[in-house]
Amino acid sequence: MATAFVEDRLTYLWETPKTVRGWLGTVDHKELGIRYLVTAFVFLLVGGVEALLVRIQLARPDMTFLSPEAYDQIFTMHGVTMIFWYASPILSGFAIYMIPLMIGARDVAFPRLNSFTYWSFLFSGILLYVSPFFRQAPHGGWFAYVPYTLTEYSPGIGMDIYALALIFITISTTANAVNFVVTILRLRAPGMAISRMPLFAYSTLTISLVILFALPALSAACIFLELERRWGMHFFGVAGGGDIFLWQQLFWFFGHPWVYVIFLPATGMVSMIIPVFSRRPIVGYAWIAISTMLTGLVGFGVWLHHMFTVGMSDMAMSFFSAGSMTISIFTTIQVFAWLATIWKGKPVATTSMYYASASVALLVVGGLSGIFTGIIPVDWQVHNTYYVVAHIHYVLIGANVFPVFAGFYYWLPKMMGRMMNETLGKLSFWVMFVGFNVGFFPMHILGLEGMPRRIYTYQPGLGFESGNMVVTVGSFVFGLGVLISVINFFISRKRGELAGPNPWNSDGLEWASDSPPESYELAHIPVVVTRHPLWDDFDETADPENERVLDGGRLSPTTGWLDAEPVGIATMPEDSLAPLFLAVAMFIFFFALVFRHMWIVLAALIAVFFMGCYWMWPRESKEVV
Amino acid sequence: MSTVAQVSAQPPARYVSLQGLPIDQRRGEWAMWCTIATEAMLFVCMFGSYYYLGTNKDRWAIDYPPSLKYPFVLLAILLSSSVVLEWGNKQVKRGRFVAARIALWITVAMGLVFLMLQAFEYIEHWKSLTPSTDSYGSIFYTITTLHAAHVIVGLLLLCYVGVLPRYGDSRSSPHRPYATVSMYWHFVDIVWVFIVIFLYVIPTFQGHAHGHFAR
Repeated sequence: MATAFVEDRLTYLWETPKTVRGWLGTVDHKELGIRYLVTAFVFLLVGGVEALLVRIQLARPDMTFLSPEAYDQIFTMHGVTMIFWYASPILSGFAIYMIPLMIGARDVAFPRLNSFTYWSFLFSGILLYVSPFFRQAPHGGWFAYVPYTLTEYSPGIGMDIYALALIFITISTTANAVNFVVTILRLRAPGMAISRMPLFAYSTLTISLVILFALPALSAACIFLELERRWGMHFFGVAGGGDIFLWQQLFWFFGHPWVYVIFLPATGMVSMIIPVFSRRPIVGYAWIAISTMLTGLVGFGVWLHHMFTVGMSDMAMSFFSAGSMTISIFTTIQVFAWLATIWKGKPVATTSMYYASASVALLVVGGLSGIFTGIIPVDWQVHNTYYVVAHIHYVLIGANVFPVFAGFYYWLPKMMGRMMNETLGKLSFWVMFVGFNVGFFPMHILGLEGMPRRIYTYQPGLGFESGNMVVTVGSFVFGLGVLISVINFFISRKRGELAGPNPWNSDGLEWASDSPPESYELAHIPVVVTRHPLWDDFDETADPENERVLDGGRLSPTTGWLDAEPVGIATMPEDSLAPLFLAVAMFIFFFALVFRHMWIVLAALIAVFFMGCYWMWPRESKEVV
Repeated sequence: MSTVAQVSAQPPARYVSLQGLPIDQRRGEWAMWCTIATEAMLFVCMFGSYYYLGTNKDRWAIDYPPSLKYPFVLLAILLSSSVVLEWGNKQVKRGRFVAARIALWITVAMGLVFLMLQAFEYIEHWKSLTPSTDSYGSIFYTITTLHAAHVIVGLLLLCYVGVLPRYGDSRSSPHRPYATVSMYWHFVDIVWVFIVIFLYVIPTFQGHAHGHFAR
């Protein structure tokens, strides 16, 4: 068994010193995962406050709480913040913290890249939030349709900041995706064959591949937009031979796969949580894994359903309508697998289980309204109405925010070592659940009655008054529910009961380590023989001869991507400030580009190159002989 | 909390040992494959936009196809630079690091010649077409300049590898920098093949087939 000697060596190798330099330069995935979660959650709160401002403005007809321009900026910032700086990064945060623990690796495949993705995620968010200080926030909606976003109708820096901040976060997200692909395929513990991989790892792998193939369309669209706005080129403006639908094609080619990027990892979390609290292995593991992968794949063939009102051939519309319907089959497989798991198991009523089951219910509502909007005549009727707003919020809050809260109540004990308060948690759940449904269900009706999206106010006497009032009240109740959980976190962090390694008696490998885990996680690299390592009677960390401690440096085993037979030893880098400096240089690059100081742009580019060289320059690493 | 139905487990016949395994050097190449995939997709989007913009336009490449004088010379330079670099890569595997370093700097020189000739092509082309002429000019110059930017990035990476103190196997990163950067350089070369086909050759053939040249 592990001697104190081995553990001392591992601690010496892996621990980050508690200094300013250590804090800025850490490459520990646990530290970075927590930072991702905190930062993304702050963006959720900021975006939530923006949503509440929008709802105040719409509570009564002819309100003058916000000017039309301010309203446009705030609803745009709400959408952009939620979709790019909250929904995807928060799932990355869980993945960065949990995936190495789940697969028994000591860190991600590229720890310094991991640090870079965090800093560039943070700085791109700061770049976006520079714009309100100039009173020129982006105002074209999160989809930024041309020609409205061209200089003729959108002068000023707002849309430039939109385009450049998106290119910046695209770099961060792509780097993150590369990291996950290599981590999940190469760093799994010996024996964790692809048929034994946790479902959260499946969904994270799927979305990482989707990101690699979908995000370039957004980059291309944003590059075109900048070139047209700033350098007089013609891509979208019809006068110069451009095509306004090019933007929509590129944007939705990225946009619809992105919906699955912010949805699939959340379903992966639900697939991890529901079996634990149903006290049985998940039903249909292979079916869930395959339908997750297929959702990612078929997600590339549905983007035109955002454009049914544009006008196109019947053939194209039929194809994309059918594609959109096909996706619902894969989602339904997952939903029935969850239901069967609960049905066959012995459910335990914890807060986490409340959130996970509610997410299934809300996903079904959002999924059904999605099928309606996938039917072309219905889409023509409800396009650009509050019906669509209701649909996306049922899907994104039902299948992203609720699973995220389930994930927090499930995994926070692992991260902070203390249990969350269940009473406050359940109170928070019910307030959120009621607030959400009161706030968003009436939007379906408002939409069917013809209330359009993105209007800053409406006239009295159209029949929208009571519905909008209910929606506003509901959204504030929902916000209150989120606040209760935030308070719960701050109380439990100090006073919660100690969690111990495996408070939920879960099956996942992440529960084998202490809570919070040691810097090196497990002293002995685990060996996995089933899908449910902690529920079988095999001892994963049994290693009587100390043959799997890898205490000669920062080391983690690499295995074959299919069968997870050990093939090599990966050396992991030390803490480094280079990722932070690189992210700063890129921030300066994009910031100077917004204000067109081209010499600073050039200087920043050169700095990026030299920072990259400094980063990759060979240096000696800590070794223990 | 209630107990869970036991999951049956088949323990392995012996304890798995991790001792004596080699240092894994290949994560960087996996990451480079991912990078190439996403970069390739960026060019797919560019070519897609080229054809999307080209439908139903009064004036497009077919009416005044770009001259074929330069692109094939440029293609020859890039493809032969890839051959040189691949030869250098073989030398690294055989441990002949000096030869590898020379091959790498020859590649850099060829890349610089490529950029220089492309600048000449731009100067000539600019007389009849600028990026702000119309959407054809915009997309033509955007694609070719984006490729040139990739060439520059490739050259910077090559220069960095050129001054690296060592190429051989090592415990610490960068692992196999020569092989990884070669992959990127080959990718940049292959993109140029597609640019020649889509932006130069096909419009010329179409122009001939339709029998009209605007010039």
